[in-house]
Order: sequence, then C-alpha cells, then structure tokens
Amino acid sequence: MIDRHLLAMHQSEVSVSVELETPDVTLNLGPQHPSTHGVLRLIAKVDGEVINEVEPVIGYMHRGYEKLAEVRTYPQITALVNRIDWVSGFANEIPFIVAVERLMGIEAPQRAQMIRLVLTEMARISSHLLFLCSYPLELGAATPLMYALRERERVLDLIEGVTGGRFHPNFNRIGGVKPAAGAGSTQKKVVQDLPEGFLEQTRDAMKNVLSECDDMVDLVLGNEIFIERTRGVGLIPADRALEYGVSGPNLRASGVRFDVRKTDSYLPYGGFDFEIPTGVNGDCFDRYTVRLEEIRQAARIVNQAVDAMPSGELQAKVPRIVKVPKGATYVRAENPKGEMGYYVVSEGGRGPYRLKVRSASFSNLSILPWLLKGQLVPDIIAILGSLDFVLGDVDR
Amino acid sequence: MSALLDNFWVLLALKLAVVAIFIPTFSLVLIFAELKLSAHMQNRIGPYFAGGRWGWAQPLADGLKFMQKEDLVPADADRPVFKIAPMIVLMGTLAVFVIVPFAPKLVVRDLDLGVFYALAAGSIGTVGVLMAGWSSANKYSLMGGLRAAAQLIAYELPLVLAVVGVVIAAGTMSMGGIVAAQVEPWFHIGSFGVRLPFILQGQVVGFAIFMIASLAELSRTPFDMPIAESELVMGYLTEYSGIRFTMFFLAEYAGMFSMSAIAATLFLGGWYVPGLPADSAAMYLLGPMVLIGKVLVLVFAMIWMRWTFPRLREDQLQSLAWRWLIPLALANILVTATLKVVF
Amino acid sequence: MTASPSETAERFSAMVGAESASSDFGTAKIRVPAQRWVEVHETLKPHLPFFSWLSAIDWASEVAVGEPPEAPVDDHYEVLSRLSDVTSGTGLIISTEVGKAEPRLATLTGVFGGANWHEREAAEMFGIVFEGHPHLVKLYLPDEFQGHPLRKTFPLLSREVKPWPGTVDVEDMPSSMNTEAGDEGESTE
Repeated sequence: MIDRHLLAMHQSEVSVSVELETPDVTLNLGPQHPSTHGVLRLIAKVDGEVINEVEPVIGYMHRGYEKLAEVRTYPQITALVNRIDWVSGFANEIPFIVAVERLMGIEAPQRAQMIRLVLTEMARISSHLLFLCSYPLELGAATPLMYALRERERVLDLIEGVTGGRFHPNFNRIGGVKPAAGAGSTQKKVVQDLPEGFLEQTRDAMKNVLSECDDMVDLVLGNEIFIERTRGVGLIPADRALEYGVSGPNLRASGVRFDVRKTDSYLPYGGFDFEIPTGVNGDCFDRYTVRLEEIRQAARIVNQAVDAMPSGELQAKVPRIVKVPKGATYVRAENPKGEMGYYVVSEGGRGPYRLKVRSASFSNLSILPWLLKGQLVPDIIAILGSLDFVLGDVDR
Repeated sequence: MSALLDNFWVLLALKLAVVAIFIPTFSLVLIFAELKLSAHMQNRIGPYFAGGRWGWAQPLADGLKFMQKEDLVPADADRPVFKIAPMIVLMGTLAVFVIVPFAPKLVVRDLDLGVFYALAAGSIGTVGVLMAGWSSANKYSLMGGLRAAAQLIAYELPLVLAVVGVVIAAGTMSMGGIVAAQVEPWFHIGSFGVRLPFILQGQVVGFAIFMIASLAELSRTPFDMPIAESELVMGYLTEYSGIRFTMFFLAEYAGMFSMSAIAATLFLGGWYVPGLPADSAAMYLLGPMVLIGKVLVLVFAMIWMRWTFPRLREDQLQSLAWRWLIPLALANILVTATLKVVF
Repeated sequence: MTASPSETAERFSAMVGAESASSDFGTAKIRVPAQRWVEVHETLKPHLPFFSWLSAIDWASEVAVGEPPEAPVDDHYEVLSRLSDVTSGTGLIISTEVGKAEPRLATLTGVFGGANWHEREAAEMFGIVFEGHPHLVKLYLPDEFQGHPLRKTFPLLSREVKPWPGTVDVEDMPSSMNTEAGDEGESTE
C-alpha cells in the first residue's frame, strides 16, 4: 500500500482532456505511467470503454544510435549497442560482432563461440524471467515478482562473474570474447578465462531456474483469474504478425514455428537439442506460456553447452587497429524480444559508414494501432505487457 | 461507582470509547500481520528494523510518518466534501462494531435489528468513496470513484442475501440471538446435543458468498480495480495524503476486522465453541478470545487471497456478482427456507 | 534446408527481373528501379511474407560526420527493405536508388502494413517522401525539430562544439597474443 501511495504522489501529472459534448473521449496514457514499459505515450480515442483509435507516441528515449555509430570505431560501438535492449544486454552485441567478423572474414574460436552462446541464453532467461514476474504484477498479482526475481539474481550474478557487468557486459571483442580481467598500467596484462567454478554454478542455477518455472506454472498459469484476464485478449493472427514484422515469442505465440537460432548460423546452435515452443491462438495467455517454455529450453541449452564446453583460445588473431574492408552485410539473431539485426555498411574505415539497427520491439510495437482498435480500456495494460517490449529497443 | 455504571448514558459512552480506541489499535495489529504474512508468502522477511528484530513498530512508524505529512487539498477540489469523505468511510466501518457480541453480555448494544443495522452501517462507506472520487478534481479519481461505487453497490446484494439465509435459520435478526441459536443444540443423538455453527448447519454456500462479497466490499484484491488499477494510478485515493489517507487505510483494515467479525458471528458461532460454559463469568475473558481467534483465521484467508490472485477486470467483476453470486444466494435462501419449514 | 545466399539472390532476381543481384558476405541483395518498387514487393510477398525492416543509406562524397566513402560516389539515397520467410529463414534485401534533388518513393503500406512506421522513420531521418503514406508525420523526433538527422550533411552538434579525443589513444599491446584488439577509447557517448 505504501509504495503505491508514493508512486501515486509522483504520477498525478497524468492529464486527461474530456470533451463532454461528443461521445469520444481522448484518453492520454503516459508518458510517465506505472505500467507502460518505459516512456511510452498512448493517445487513445475512447467511446465508453471501447477504444476507437490509438496513436502511440514514441521517441522519448531516442538516443540516435545510428548517427552515433557513424563517428565511432567498431570496438566502441560494441560498448554502445548493449544499451539498446537493456534487459538482455549481452544478446545485443552478438549480431553486430558477428556482422563485423563476417565482413573481415574472421571466425571466432570454438570456445569463444560457446561462451557467447551460454551468455546469450542466460540473457534470454534473465529477460524472460523479468517478463514472467512483471506481467502478473500489472494484472494485480504481486507474488510471482518476488519468486522470479530471486532466480534472476542468480543468473545475473553468473553473468557478472564472467563479464563484470550485469546488464551491460561489453564482453564481445571482434574475433571472440574478452579475456576476463585485464590489469592496470603497472602490471602485466593477465589473461584469464572463465572464473573458477563457473560451470558448476551454472548447472546449479539452471536447476533452480527450472524449478522456478514449475512454481510459476502452478502459481500463475493455473490461476483462474489470470486465465480470465488473458485468454482471448489481444489476438494477433499469424498473417498480420508477419506483415508487421512481429517476431520472437510474439510470433511464435501466433502459431508460426520459426526461430532464427534454427535457421541462421550466427552461433553454434546446430549442435544442440532444443524445441521451439509455439502457441495456438496468439492471445496474451499464449505469449506468456511461450516465454515460460522458452526459459526451460534455454536452461536445457545452457546445460548442454556447459557439458560440451571446448577448450581453446578466447579470441582469434585480429590486427591491432581494426579496419574492416568494404562491403555490407546483414546479420540477425534471435534476441529475447524478437529478431534483432544489424545491417553494417563498411567503406574500409575504422567505423561503419552506416549502421542500421533492426530492433525487435520497434516492429512488435508497430502493430499496436491495429491491435488495440476495438479492445477495452482495461485490456490495454494486459496487451501492452504481453508484447514485452522495452522502450530502449523501440526508440534506439 | 456502580451507580455511575448503571447510568445508561455513562455505560454507553464507556462502551463506545472502548470501541473507538480498541478497533483502530487492533487494526494496527492487522496491518502488521499483513506486512509479515505477505512477506513470508513471498519469501521475504518483511519489517525488520522498526522496534527490534520483529519490526513490530512498523505500523506505528508508518502512522507517525503519515501524521506529520503536509495537509494537501488540491486547488480545484471541493474542500468540505474532500475533507469529510474519509471520515464518513471510517465512521461507517466503526459503526458496525456496535452490535458485535464479544461475550454473552459484552456488546455495546444488542439491537433487535442487529444484522440489518450492521449491513446498513457497512454501506455508508460507499457514499464516502463516491465523495472522495468526485471531490478530488481529477478525472482519473472520478472514474475510479464511479467504478468503486458500481462495484460496491453490485456486491451489496450478495452480501445481504447471504445473510438472509442465516437469519431464516436462526429466526432472529439480533446478533446475540443468532449466537444463541448456534449455542442451542441443533439435533440430539440420544441425550447428547450436537451443537454446530451455522456454516455446518447448511450455510456453507452462504458463507462462501459472504466472504467473496466482503472482499469486494473492502476493495481488496481480487476486487481492487477501483484503487490499484494500473491506469487509474490510485483511483479515488490518488489525491489523498497524510492523515486523510491514514483514515482510508485504517478503514480498510477495520473493515476487514468488522466483516470477519460479522462472518464469525453469523456463520462460525461467534464467541462460542462447543464445550465452553456459555453462562459463566469466565466467558467475559474466553468469549472475546474465541471470537478474535476466529476473526484472525478469516483475516489470514483474506490476506492470503490478496497476494495470490491477480485482479478481475471490471466487467468480469460485475458479471460475477450479478450472474453468479446473486442467483446462488437466492437459491440458498430458497433451500434454507424450505428446510426450515419442513423440519 | 536454407538456400545459400547466392541461390536466393539468383532465384528472386530472376523472378522480378532485377537490375542486379549480389550475395557478398552472406547477404542476398537485389537492386530494382524505383518505379517498380511496389510491384516488386507485391510479387515477392507470397514467397517472403515477413517484413523485417525498411531504411535508407545516404551516399555522399562529402560528409560532415564520420569518413567519406572509399571511392567517390554519385550522391543519392539508397532505400533498402528486407523480406524473409518463416519456414526456411531465407532472406532478401531489396534496394533501390532515389535521387537527392526530389527524394520521392511510393509507399509500401498497401503491401505490408508494417512499413508504416519504418517509412515514417526513414522520412524524418532522411527527408524521403513516401507517396501515398496515410500518416507521414515525425515518429521519433519532436515536432519542432528541423533537419534530417541521418543525412551525411547533418553534423553531430556536440562534436562541433567540442572536438572528440576518443580515437587518439591506442594502448600498447604486450607480447602475448590474446589480448584486446582495437582501440581503448571512451566507451560511452
């Protein structure tokens, strides 16, 4: 009660204009609001409880990545891009690094690729766990939040142990991953590998994550009221989803069995055994179940990867000053939020001539004007939460 | 001294003073119970620092904090209405305690229309909620207040109808009389009188409906659309701070206490447990303890439900009341009346 | 299961009669003339139903930010769109050329609904007008913003005010191989 009261004191700047003459009311949601995932503003024309038209206003978090990339070198951009989708920090660096490596014709050593894979899957678990707990919170159930965040802490601690950062690891280097820990100017540089005990701790953490998923199934998915609020709400048919570029768990919830991990070879997923969970209807409930199942599959992959971790070098031989030859390539990856890709256009310089970031949440959110038409006002929260977008990803 | 106590007005004033002091204090205990229980359900510890290891002084600290806050009234608000609204809500809740029997003779006033009075006093709060929503000069508060009013009015009916079943079974509306009806043996096996509370005398459905409706009357999850809805920030409570907010807050927990007390008296047997000597003076001590024990069990159930369920949408809430609870309650009355007449 | 990029490029280039096709660095790309932009996408839609993104590149010989292209180019905007399919993951980038004097191109919102926001972004960043777009207003930038940020002539104002020392320091490499390559410049903006 008390926390919400404090929140209310800060949130009363929400304004509404009510024209009493006409039946259409303009409802303004945000940009500061407890349940939009960041600064998103929705201007809705409402008739009673039914929405006639919605216009999302975005750009509050536009940081100009694509312009910034034109004045930076490739390693500097690596540090920037994990801030695009800040919830799954590590996963943002991967397609960019792979694109640059492809342009240079370098392949990262096996061990480095496996480490990248493990950390990417952990980022996926972390992002989905956050969704699993914040979505019921928006619907009113406060307890799953505590349970899921505890498991998420374990995963974040592991990521921190390897990379030094929980959300912004900045761990990828062109040609591999960063050898953990450097040294100051007075000491010789020490090359370190994964921290001791990392593999056992990972196995433990995955066990906990899997048991947490089972808890969630009982606590949330079996809950009558949760089912009432989410079943049949916010249906996205598969052909619409494809047309708008909706990707990731949202697309799979609509019944399209497609996963970039199975079709593109940006990381060595080919050697692993995992399934692609799909939903049936494309409603909010399906999106929740798909993400829950994806956590299980990700934990499965991590367990297999940890068992199969090869030894070897952490980084391929790369020239001291990185100049990427002329060319252009597009590499995409299956990020937790969806398909994230980078189109890198290089003109032989130390930085790209043009970097186009294809972010998942931008396309996922673009379906909102179509999706919210005809829905009820209380369902806005349920639908927005189920799309699982992050404003940093939308606005770049 | 005893002459003074025999004076009707002095006695009444004394009893009302006890109620007015005891109930908010006990609400603080309930607030603490909620904090600790919810914490343990969520695998946390809860209040830890205020007042030593148990954090028992946390509600006191919160109360003091609220009291020293600035007294804010929005510029466009309707000042008299804004100020009176929380008082009305709190008054309505406290007024219910007049007829709750804590022991055979320990009741402020055992009205003949006890049940009727309790339900009527309990619904004064609805007016206070509407006043709060209207006077806040905030469109979101208004929408929250209207939704709250709709919800509260919709759930009044199942509440009342569930109670009617008990009234029929007991044959009286006075709370003391209802407890007495549960003290009397329901049937005899040989020479052994079987005494059962009304919940076991066939009022299970009534009990369930009463508990659900009382959750909705208190605006607790899963029925807390009016206050905790994510779009309406805090609904009709948005503009309240400081002592006025404390009054709403206390009213919620006092309401939990009063609804549970009524449920315990009507359905669970009140201050009586089979085996206790119903007439002796020891009941002055045992009776309240028994009643408060039952109240705490029900309050635990309410807290448990709050932290397990998400909230129902407004239309689902209304359809639950009108399409399920009211027909069920009517059927319950029919069955009870039939059984009462036949047997 | 997945066709190689060169096969993809060949196949679709033949299907729509593209000007050129390439598959360098694993990316299949075809080039079509601007007048046939919408028609090409309509032809490709049944085979590649997933609309991934649409954006543009500003090819300019003189740039205000970053470095100019290696070889001198004719100034133009290159508008790119990417489609893919969801069974085998085949993807294709379609590009066309738009002149700088009058940057206009037909809108794709009739073919792919998702092009709506992507075209708004390209319009505000590059100044390309998409004819037939239902609601071509600014998406990210505030309404009063003047200029088109991703054009090469648009400077980064903070760099104008204060020169950037970031690319100056290059840390010395110790004798062992596997240490960090590249610059150790400032890693935040």
